[in-house]
Amino acid sequence: MTVTADLPLDLAPAVRRRAGARPAKPLREKGTALIGFATFAALVGFWFAASHFQWASPLFLPSPAEVATQLRIVAEDGYAGGTLVTHLGSSLWRIGMALALAIVIGVPLGLAMGMNRWVRGVFSVPIDLYWGLPPLAYLPLLIIWLGIDETSKVLLLTLATFAPVCFSAQAGVRSVPAERMNAARSLGAGRLQLFSTIILPSALPEILTGLRIAIGAGLATLVAAELIAARSGVGYMIMSAANFLATDIVFVGLIVIAALAFSLSTGMRWLERRLVPWKGKI
Amino acid sequence: MLQVREASVVFPASDGSDVQALDRVSLDLHKDSIVVAVGASGCGKSTLLNAVAGFLPLTEGSITLDGERIEGPGGDRGVVFQKDTLLPWASVLDNVALGLRYQGVAKRERHQQARELLGLVGLSEFGDKPPYELSGGMRQRVGIARALATDPKMLLMDEPFGALDSLTRETMQQLLARIWARTGKQVLFITHSIEEALLLGTMIVVMSPRPGRIVARFDADFVRDFANSGEIGPIVSQPRFVALREEIRALIHNPPVSKHGALQ
Repeated sequence: MTVTADLPLDLAPAVRRRAGARPAKPLREKGTALIGFATFAALVGFWFAASHFQWASPLFLPSPAEVATQLRIVAEDGYAGGTLVTHLGSSLWRIGMALALAIVIGVPLGLAMGMNRWVRGVFSVPIDLYWGLPPLAYLPLLIIWLGIDETSKVLLLTLATFAPVCFSAQAGVRSVPAERMNAARSLGAGRLQLFSTIILPSALPEILTGLRIAIGAGLATLVAAELIAARSGVGYMIMSAANFLATDIVFVGLIVIAALAFSLSTGMRWLERRLVPWKGKI
Repeated sequence: MLQVREASVVFPASDGSDVQALDRVSLDLHKDSIVVAVGASGCGKSTLLNAVAGFLPLTEGSITLDGERIEGPGGDRGVVFQKDTLLPWASVLDNVALGLRYQGVAKRERHQQARELLGLVGLSEFGDKPPYELSGGMRQRVGIARALATDPKMLLMDEPFGALDSLTRETMQQLLARIWARTGKQVLFITHSIEEALLLGTMIVVMSPRPGRIVARFDADFVRDFANSGEIGPIVSQPRFVALREEIRALIHNPPVSKHGALQ
């Protein structure tokens, strides 16, 4: 390899390749799935070791086997007034409703804010103001106004997920390249055609990014809300278990939430590949 | 026919003063002509094109196309940009057919026409590909096909080959000369390459900055030879070509003082 040091810079890789070294693949092709899985396995292994050698009291750190048993029991017989499926179902219903509302209202409003100065002027200040508040700070108010049932929780989650969706749609409109708009106009596009064939598809990658952020914000808020005021849901299940120091059930709840978050983000990535395969290409 | 009459464009600069991007420019484009505007950066050549395209309002003066005043962008003037403006989510074929789609042409028919245009620019095989799988030169070919699809009265080309490597650039120049000879479209072409201007223009307009104005016009007809032979070498070595090239070069580097008194 010392020979290559004397060569002009651009010749050096060619010589090294001839010397028998494998040409490096571009970073993207290699992927991280295997490394990620190994890390996951190591973490689980550490958990096994920690509980097997009693590095912590079983009261604080239940064994994987114990958690697995509880997972089966909670799934079959239920805990805190419902089976795992019931709890997961009500959590999913809340976040699903909230996301649907956030998309149905937030995307059109964000697009309108991106295109029209007046809409932007009217709505950006109120949204900016409430978006700065921690959702749990205004939850008590929502409960006083709307009662303890589903309405207040769905509204809370809608507010938490609405702002990122709305702002991303607005940013998506603002990011449409001016040349792309000019090109379409010089091809004879009318206002409606500009919107449907240029603005909306150009904004789609940003909207999907916003949706990902909204899902994250929604999950965080969901569990917190269920810890405070709920009679069902995975967060409520965790809270009930914690009251009885049933750490194994708390673990079950955490694992379920982790699995939920992981599948949602995997789903979003799949959706992005399907809907915006061109993202970052041009 | 395109008529530019005493067209001026004034921008407000960041320091509050006014920048005269275009100063009382007049220009006629006849059918069958390629008018090439050449000049240093800031000479107003792109401003002129943007005004003709309708992207930019005039501060004073007027631009008419076949007697109709230009008020905004429209399908009668096809624009080819330096930057790639193809839609990444649409196939090459759908990109070419975009203007026809805006006109309400049915899918089957617009695809048919788009396929013919792709053949004209030598990309018949690539209709189903997304644009980002094409090279820069190929993407510019698609851009030209797209601009031609609506059968515009004229083509406006804003340094369309400026970002391409020199070999691809020569191929594209040949392609444009051939398309022009075949379709007879009037073309307004912007470039900073004097050689490209002489090679492609039936009229070369030399522009100079501060304020942006036309300082000289030259008639040329190298493009007809070029369209027939497709060979650059024999044309650019002609004594007449070399003499014109040097004359224009001198004008660009030492423009005559503006008759309105602005010092260079």
